[in-house]
Amino acid sequence: MTDIVRTRYTEAHPGLGDGADPVTTEIIRQGLNAAADQMKQSLIRTAFSPIIYEALDFAVAFYDADLCMLAQAPTLPAFMGTLGFCVQEAVDGVGGPGAINPGDVILYNDPYGTGSHPQDAAMVVPVFVEEGEALVGYAVIKAHWLDIGGKDPYCTDTVDVHQEGTIFPGVKLYDAGRLVSDVYRMILANSRMPEMVIGDINAMVAGARTGAEALTALVRRYGIDTFRRCVARMYGHGEALVRSWFERLPDGVYTAKSVIDSDGVNGRPIPFGVKVTVSGSSVTVDLTDCPDQVGGPVNCPLPSTVAAVRIAVAFLAGAGEQPNEGHFRPLELVTRRGSLFHPVRPAPCFMYGIPSDHAIELIIRALAEAVPGSVPAASGGDINALVWWGNREATGEPWADGAPHPVGQGGSPVSDGASALMYISESATRLTPAEVWEARNPWRIERLALAEDSGGPGRHRGGLGLDLSFRVLEDQYLTSALARTALEPWGLSGGLPGRPNRLTVEYPDGREEDFSLKTRIFLPKGALVHLRTGSGGGYGPPSERDPEAVHADLREGYVTLEHAQRHYPHAF
Amino acid sequence: MATVIGVDVGGTFTDLVLHDAATGEIRVAKQPTTPSAPELGVLAAVDAAVPPDLLARCGHFVHGTTVGLNALLERRGAKVGLITTAGFRDVLEIRRGDRDDPYDLFWTPPDPLVPRRLRAEVAERVAADGSVVRELDPEGVRQAARLFAAEGVDAVAIVLMNSYANPEHEVLAGEVLRDAGFGGPISLSHDVSGEYREYERTCTTVVDAFVRHRMGPYLHNLERELRGRGFAGELLVTRSGGGALTLAEAAARPFETILSGPVAGAVATARLAAALGLHTAVAADVGGTSFDTALIEDGRLPLLFQGEVVGLPLQSPWVDVRSVGAGGGSVAYADSGGLLRVGPRSAGADPGPAGYMRGGTEPTVTDAALHLGMIPPGHISGGISLSPEKAAEVLAPLAGPTGIDGADGVAEGVIRIATANMAQAVRGVTVERGVDPRGAAIVAFGGAGPLFGCLLASELDVDTVVVPPNAGNFSAVGLVQADIVRSAARTMVRPLDEEALPAIEQLAGSLFERLAEAGAVRELDLDLRHRGQEHTLTVPVRLGEDDVAAIADRFSAAYHRTFGHQLPDPLEVVTVRATTRVVLDSERPLVPAPPSGPAAGGTTRVWSFSGRAWTQAQVVQRESFIGPVEGPLLVVEPTATTYVDAGFTAEAHPSGCLLISRKDGER
Repeated sequence: MTDIVRTRYTEAHPGLGDGADPVTTEIIRQGLNAAADQMKQSLIRTAFSPIIYEALDFAVAFYDADLCMLAQAPTLPAFMGTLGFCVQEAVDGVGGPGAINPGDVILYNDPYGTGSHPQDAAMVVPVFVEEGEALVGYAVIKAHWLDIGGKDPYCTDTVDVHQEGTIFPGVKLYDAGRLVSDVYRMILANSRMPEMVIGDINAMVAGARTGAEALTALVRRYGIDTFRRCVARMYGHGEALVRSWFERLPDGVYTAKSVIDSDGVNGRPIPFGVKVTVSGSSVTVDLTDCPDQVGGPVNCPLPSTVAAVRIAVAFLAGAGEQPNEGHFRPLELVTRRGSLFHPVRPAPCFMYGIPSDHAIELIIRALAEAVPGSVPAASGGDINALVWWGNREATGEPWADGAPHPVGQGGSPVSDGASALMYISESATRLTPAEVWEARNPWRIERLALAEDSGGPGRHRGGLGLDLSFRVLEDQYLTSALARTALEPWGLSGGLPGRPNRLTVEYPDGREEDFSLKTRIFLPKGALVHLRTGSGGGYGPPSERDPEAVHADLREGYVTLEHAQRHYPHAF
Repeated sequence: MATVIGVDVGGTFTDLVLHDAATGEIRVAKQPTTPSAPELGVLAAVDAAVPPDLLARCGHFVHGTTVGLNALLERRGAKVGLITTAGFRDVLEIRRGDRDDPYDLFWTPPDPLVPRRLRAEVAERVAADGSVVRELDPEGVRQAARLFAAEGVDAVAIVLMNSYANPEHEVLAGEVLRDAGFGGPISLSHDVSGEYREYERTCTTVVDAFVRHRMGPYLHNLERELRGRGFAGELLVTRSGGGALTLAEAAARPFETILSGPVAGAVATARLAAALGLHTAVAADVGGTSFDTALIEDGRLPLLFQGEVVGLPLQSPWVDVRSVGAGGGSVAYADSGGLLRVGPRSAGADPGPAGYMRGGTEPTVTDAALHLGMIPPGHISGGISLSPEKAAEVLAPLAGPTGIDGADGVAEGVIRIATANMAQAVRGVTVERGVDPRGAAIVAFGGAGPLFGCLLASELDVDTVVVPPNAGNFSAVGLVQADIVRSAARTMVRPLDEEALPAIEQLAGSLFERLAEAGAVRELDLDLRHRGQEHTLTVPVRLGEDDVAAIADRFSAAYHRTFGHQLPDPLEVVTVRATTRVVLDSERPLVPAPPSGPAAGGTTRVWSFSGRAWTQAQVVQRESFIGPVEGPLLVVEPTATTYVDAGFTAEAHPSGCLLISRKDGER
């Protein structure tokens, strides 16, 4: 028996926005986006973990009292429009809207509500304009804590969600402005790096409160009734923008299939497919063509599946606007409860990003036929996350660091793919400078280079992957969270594939070993870790590449003579 | 006090301001800019406004130039070769892996300023603590020299890993390169920036090498021309971080001038705020294409230490002037979702707003102001005749798709949205520094700034608006108010403890030694952070007076003000910043408006935003206006019109400024 679930947007008060002043609506829309940005800047500038301030592994947003998204600041696209689920669950957790008070801060990190792993903890701050008056909405921050328990700081081999971290299912961290020390102490007792986590908690609470104040000021300025009417009109506006783009697509059903390397536990490949149905100005994305939830942590909880669909659409139809609930109205998602893209407790989901990231690129690929000229070949396809930790030799102090790494982008109908950019789900993320790494961690970076010959050949070749070598100067541990190490980045329209991602550890005794999903690899002092990130696939047949472009690549050393002669004989 | 000439080259016009110390006379001149040969506009302005005997008496010639910026925009500069540590030649191209637009699937970075074949690697390695892991291989440098010679490289940038911690290898590589016969300019990264983050430092050093090639010859040529006309004083060049550099310094460190474009307006605002005793002032400069704003606290310029230009990061001090695309020429349109939007696209100077009757067909902010009577009909400077009829004609079509009531409603909406966009930018520069904008005074200038002063005050709950004399040319005043400023910085990550002070002192000593300047005031700042954080706050330090506790207190106060909370965590020093300042003149007069202006008098029909209704406003001549007079009121002068809404009172201040206050009880 199948259990099919259709997920759409949150509908609220149709017709409310009809009489709203369009000028005030535009001013409020801009004001909400600016307030969300203030919340983001505050968090970036006060956070303790590089994963927040450098990798921007967080999301900040405002929701109205009906749990429609008012605004979300641009950070990690992977978290696009996912916070509504966790606000709902967080508020339900503490007893519903009737049980919340001004000054409350609700902590929530259940993976099935956040869509990600327990490290991604949300702080929900209810916003009241005046004491004793109705709730206006919520300011929410979800950010990655370096550690909140679990079998390892970063896990690629969990078999249930309980191994992945301590779960806070919606509890008050602040109750009417007072810190609930029982909860606070529980957080600290469950973290391997309590000091970092305290710093980040303070930054998150301060950021969410900054946001709540900005939202309050905006509502006060216009009055709650005008605010609500204008917001309703704003949602209608967002919907109209996205529909006007979808209307241009030919109606039809578009599909694509791919394979995930492994679930991290049993090593078997996981095939799945996407089906996109365009009908008028509405789009339905069906992700039911996938196995039942798997034994390893690559299950993708529903909120992250929703995000994957929204990101794919934002990349194609977003028109560069900051989204609100209205932008999501033309979209419907179909999933199957108990499956890879809609797992149920206690399925492990620590590496939820692997299926979600893969689905984004596959949805875009499926639409290649619907929007010819708008879709590039595959990129390296993963964020290539590495997480490192240990205790410093001299002081015994614990340290940890973790980061995504860039990949080559696919060749496109208009140009060669860009080299070494972050995967699109983390496209705002930045690579940490080697000098900052070396000042902070017991490493020496021996190589940070573009990988010659790595781009998939084509009329427009794929962008180059990255070769990065870390010499470890003290004993430490590494968790490798690489996906797409087996699947070559696909070419399109006759272009050839690029190279997949690869991680090799070269031990001091000369032994070498490759890893993809592997938790807690011991690295003795002196080991050398080589990360070779994937490149982009090519677009169009290599035989159509402009000979001048081949020679330019040769001159600058992006390709070797041997590679050029093999793939582009017509240029010689 | 010496006679000073300031000449600022803008995209469209080259502005000249002269202050004659002997007579107290002020002269202002404007010439069209010649983009391909900017010195022509400069010299034409000098020839037109400054007789030879006056030029001969000038002590300083302060020049604001876009030569460096244009070199980058047009990608016309030196052919640069880059020497890096082995394994790192692609740093310049890998960047930080991010995209300017995170939602653009097709985004590709601009081509690197140095192509890959001209990026040479040299075996060597210095660790983060400055220790040498591997000695520099001089043969690698010689090989690079041969490559550069064969390729005809003009200038070389040398950027080695961790050189901020130990510059010896960079110095050595520079010497070997010179010995190997390379005769062109060499930029060493520790000398250019001294801060960590290899991509940002590489980029800054390469930009330095790239633009130096154009800046040096340009400045020397200009100096020669001025000398030929009898100028015997000193030529100074405005700096991105405020103040000015000597010619020699600007030619040697041109990257320090690249972000100097909008700085003059902030400098002028800072001087004005200090003169009027304004504790917190917000510069509100509304030009044709953009709104530029900066927060001035106690007369100080807001400084940042990493900027960006055309997507290239620069580790260089710059004044934090924030720009948004909301100016007089910003175009209004209805988007596909049926909302009225304003900017960032601009109709520019040509064809300009439709109401200027010079072929413009798109509705702009200026058209909305014209339609609402905020600018009285007639003529403005440049012989432009204004047509409210034409403005109404282009505004009216926006009513249908947006559901707004007629041209009146559209015009009001355009002004309100433009004002809200400007107010967001003001909130950005104030709230991010922990300052409540309500306590600030708005200093409104630029051609369209005085139209928006009251509207911004209403939007931001501000009580005071100051419109300086000759508001349309106020930015140029900042030029003749520059000090000579030099700075150097070096990253030194370490705990802030008792041992830190001698280390800071030693490092500061070596930085000041490089900056040695007779008669200069020395200023020292530290970038500090809580241990574990990445982002820093910069606080001033008085060596020899401050102990660790005093420095920590100052940081905590700044942290609390900026972020609203305090943390117990220990502090870390990240970067030491040394600045020297030679104050040229502490007092220079404000520039008065020219004596003749447009005809004024009587009343005109104008829209009141506070009353949301049409009303009659008095029109008065700024030159003869004394006040106080309650709005609605239009104060006209040759370069701008000040719109005083109902609920505000305007009066002339003895300084020559127009002071506008919100009436009690109107908040």
